[in-house]
Parts: sequence; C-alpha cells; structure tokens
Amino acid sequence: MRLLRFEHFKPSSLEEALTAMQESAGNVRVLAGGTDLLVNMKCGLEQPGLIVSIGSLPELNTIAEDPSGDLRIGAGMNLSELAENSLLAAKAPALRDAIKSIASQHIRNMATLGGNVCLDTRCWYYNQSKLWRASRPACYKTGGDQCHATRGSERCHAINSADTAPALIALGAQVVVQKKGSQRQIPAEDFYRDHGARHTVLEPDELLSGLVIPCGNETGKTHFLKISRRQGIDFALGSIAAHLAGNGSTCHSARLVIGSLGSAPIVLEKTAQVLVEAGLSQESIQAAAEAARSELGVLTTLFSSAGYKRDLAQVLVKRVLHSFIKKPTTQKRTRR
Amino acid sequence: MKKIITLEVNGDLHEVAVAVHQTLLEVLRDKLGLTGTKRGCAVGTCGVCTVIIDGKAMLACLLLAVECQGRSITTIEGISSADELHPVQQAFVDQGAIQCGFCTPGIVMTSKALLDKTPRPDDEQIREALAGTFCRCTGHIKIMEAVKTASQYERAEKKSD
Ligand SMILES: Cc1cc2nc3c(=O)[nH]c(=O)nc-3n(C[C@H](O)[C@H](O)[C@H](O)COP(=O)(O)OP(=O)(O)OC[C@H]3O[C@@H](n4cnc5c(N)ncnc54)[C@H](O)[C@@H]3O)c2cc1C
Ligand code: SF4
Ligand code: FES
Ligand code: FES
Repeated sequence: MRLLRFEHFKPSSLEEALTAMQESAGNVRVLAGGTDLLVNMKCGLEQPGLIVSIGSLPELNTIAEDPSGDLRIGAGMNLSELAENSLLAAKAPALRDAIKSIASQHIRNMATLGGNVCLDTRCWYYNQSKLWRASRPACYKTGGDQCHATRGSERCHAINSADTAPALIALGAQVVVQKKGSQRQIPAEDFYRDHGARHTVLEPDELLSGLVIPCGNETGKTHFLKISRRQGIDFALGSIAAHLAGNGSTCHSARLVIGSLGSAPIVLEKTAQVLVEAGLSQESIQAAAEAARSELGVLTTLFSSAGYKRDLAQVLVKRVLHSFIKKPTTQKRTRR
Repeated sequence: MKKIITLEVNGDLHEVAVAVHQTLLEVLRDKLGLTGTKRGCAVGTCGVCTVIIDGKAMLACLLLAVECQGRSITTIEGISSADELHPVQQAFVDQGAIQCGFCTPGIVMTSKALLDKTPRPDDEQIREALAGTFCRCTGHIKIMEAVKTASQYERAEKKSD
C-alpha cells in the first residue's frame, strides 16, 4: 500500500498553518504524528490535496501549569514524552495511564496528543484496504447509503477508539480549537459527536491547538483502565475513566466515562448519581455497575452484540471503582 | 511534488530527490539501497520497518521522508562495524532468536533503542518495547532471552573498555 500524490506544507508558525487551513479548507488535512492519517490514506479512506504538517510547531509543543493551576498541553506534544512527563504524572495520572495504553512504543514515539484526540472513528468494514472494501458497496462513511456493521441503521456507528478521550472528559478538560482570526474553548465532552461519519465538531478550517486540564482534580482521584484482546498494540474493546471526589466512603462528585463502545465517549450520568447518593462501598459498586448496564445506549453490530457491550461496561465500572477502594495502582498492561 | 532533501542516515549525509508522498521506508530501500529495513504491513502493526530516529524506535513506513530532514536516522546497516556484529545482533544469533530473519532487523533496532535508554531492562520493559513488533517464527521467548543476553554483552563490553 502506497500513498498517492498530495502537496505538503510545513508551516513555521501556527499562524501560517491556520492560513493554509483556511485557504484550502475542505481539501486539507492536518498531519501530526501521521500514525492514523497516513494509514487511512494508504487504505484510500482519505485523499487530501494538501497536508499541513504541524508536528514540530513550537506553539503546539508545550506543557505548562498556568497561574491559576490549570495544566495546558499543546496538541503537538508527543505521546512518549507525555508518558514520561512529571507534571502530567503529578496532575493527571489517569491521562498518563491512558496515553501509556495507546498502541506501541514505536507509535507513541511518533504520535501526538492532538492526533489521538482527533483520531478517526473505526469499524471492521472501514479500516480495510481499498481492495478489500471494494467487495461491498460503499457505506455511509465511505460515501454510500448503507451500513454493513449495523443492518438497517440510518447512520454510521463507527467507534471512537481514542484512549485519551474518556480520560480527558472525566478530568473535565477543555479543548482549544483555533482557526484564522479566532479561537474557541469547549468542554472535551462537547468536542465529540455521536456520529461515526462526523465524530467531532471541528470545522474544515479549524485545528485543535491544545487541551486544558482544570486544576481541582487533585481534590479527587481519577483512574483509567482499558480492556483489549492482547494488551499491547491493540485498540480497546472498551475503556473507562472515572473521577471521584469525596472523603472516605462519601462521594461529593463522580464522573464516569466509557470509551470505545460508541461513536462518542459515553458519559454515565445515572451511574455517577448512584455513587453520589450511596457513597463508595462494595454494595454501591454493584448498584453502579447495574445502573451502567441499563443506561448504556449501545447497538448490536455484526461484531459485538449490545449484550456483550453491556457486560463489558459492567465489568469496566466494577473494576474501575474497585481501584478507588484498593490502594491506588497505576494501570499496567496486566495479562488476563 | 518533488523536493531535494538531505537525510542523515547512519552518520552519512545523503542528498536525495524525493516525492513528498514517499515514505522514509521507500526512500531508504529504493533510493539509498538500504534494504535491511524491511517492508511488512506498511500500516504500523508489525514493526519490521523499525529504524532509530534521534534515539527512538520509529516506523519508517509511517513517516514521510520529507519529515525526516534534520533528524539523525540509524538503520540496521549502521549498527555493526565491517567485520563485527553489534552485541544485540550477536545475542540474537547466540540465542537462536532468528529463524527466517524477516522480523530480525526491526526487532534488533527496537531492542537497541531499548538498551541504549535502559541498559538493564526488566521483563515488563522488554515486553513493552517489543509489543510493536511481530515475529511469526520464533515465538518471542527466545527474542526476550536475546535482549537480556544483549544487555549482558553490552555491559561486559563497557567494563572491558
Ligand atoms: C497499529 C496501531 C495501533 C494503534 N493503537 C491505538 C490505541 O490502542 N489507542 C488509540 O487511541 N489509538 C491507537 N492507534 C491510532 C493512533 O496511532 C493514535 O491514536 C495516535 O495518537 C494518533 O496521533 P497522531 O499524532 O499520529 O495522529 P495523526 O495521524 O497525525 O492524525 C489523526 C487525525 O487527527 C487529525 N489531527 C491531528 N492533529 C490535529 C490537530 N491538532 N487539529 C486537528 N486535527 C488534527 C488528522 O488530520 C487525522 O485526521 C493505533 C494506530 C496503529 C497504526
Ligand atoms: S459503521 Fe457502518 S457506515 Fe460506519 S464505517 Fe462501519 S460499515 Fe461504514
Ligand atoms: S511495515 Fe512498518 S510497521 Fe509493518
Ligand atoms: S524470524 Fe521469521 S518472522 Fe521472526
């Protein structure tokens, strides 16, 4: 599989990048680490006329605490560097754990945080070579009018597998989006759309410049965990990030976010409510897991049934909540 | 769109004309004749195309050659001297961690990057580093052994220096 022809622009400043994005909007793609984009281009899923390479822009390669205590991370920050960053480990260990769970060291050495946040949605039919896909008519996400994964579906249900997404949402992070002449900041949760074929709110001339992790997360604890088949170079079957704040077994606030089970991360509101009302105990964990099961709006696809996804969510909720009771451990690639 | 770029490979500077859509892997193999770096999946899953860039293991199949200007690239051809294998290579031979050999350049480069940074890796660190590589012949256990042996060889070498 080879790449087809395109134009390549390496801007020397963010301003130059934004100008290029505006001038070629609709026919341009941001190249950060390229570990998702170049694969999709090789598979003929994308064919932009222009690529704007932002990986080494100094404006996007920063991590710092601002005077208010918020942690600001540039979108171009490399994943391996972030995995070893002491500021991130101190302020948002759950995000660090999510980053460490991504792909392989090789890929993390190349990939960026912004690229992970913007990662295209995935599906068994979509993520194949052009030749493979040609044996079936195009689907919604490839320009057709049907879905091969969920029969009779009216839209694309490709999965959002970005491992940092649930962690960022649980941490209450904000996403900074820029285009020429303007900037907006939105909660990470609102950055995603529950739509496999258009899964973020980014406009064609916009780019993600950074993330803001609010201070205050230190008052509680956040945990991330991921279940995958091989525990190495593997997209999640399901993942979860949870943020709980409280004293002992009381719980003032709770945020639980499931990743990789839908086109957008799924915020479990009722489950969080159970914990706030009942506190954190063996009994409430059971009740929370059941609440998660019933509030999870998931569909049966050709590859995993809704029942399987509910089972998985239940297990994720139980495991992540137990990690708050047990002495805190950092997530490892534990073998099942 | 073609560009003339300068690539630093194994300490040598090469001026090459490349198309901007060419990967580093294509340029290494087809333009510079460095065919030790293999092409497997071409989509980031197998690690046979691993090279070391600025000290880190990276995949040549997912890097545009034009993005590699000004970076220091090491390929499998650059780690041994004319008549002596690199300790990591020697360890792979001694441990029988090679069968067909197709995955070997990528895994040797991955292991070298690991050992350069972590001279005494534990099993978990070796597994984590090797997670991005595939060997279809040996079953990975011998490869783990080879990495540990390489670590000993390198330390012995340092001592005798
Ligand atoms: C074998 C393999 C295994 C993988 N496993 C995982 C995994 O376990 N978990 C996981 O989450 N991912 C995984 N990935 C996907 C991918 O490697 C990561 O998500 C990575 O973080 C993407 O970052 P990147 O910088 O390489 O993105 P790129 O490929 O450069 O970009 C990805 C997408 O985001 C857009 N983009 C990038 N940066 C910006 C920006 N600043 N503003 C606007 N748009 C932007 C690009 O245009 C592109 O559409 C895997 C990939 C491979 C090949
Ligand atoms: S979920 Fe359906 S529409 Fe979306 S990529 Fe898969 S097959 Fe295509
Ligand atoms: S050829 Fe590069 S990872 Fe397989
Ligand atoms: S020795 Fe044959 S693939 Fe590894």
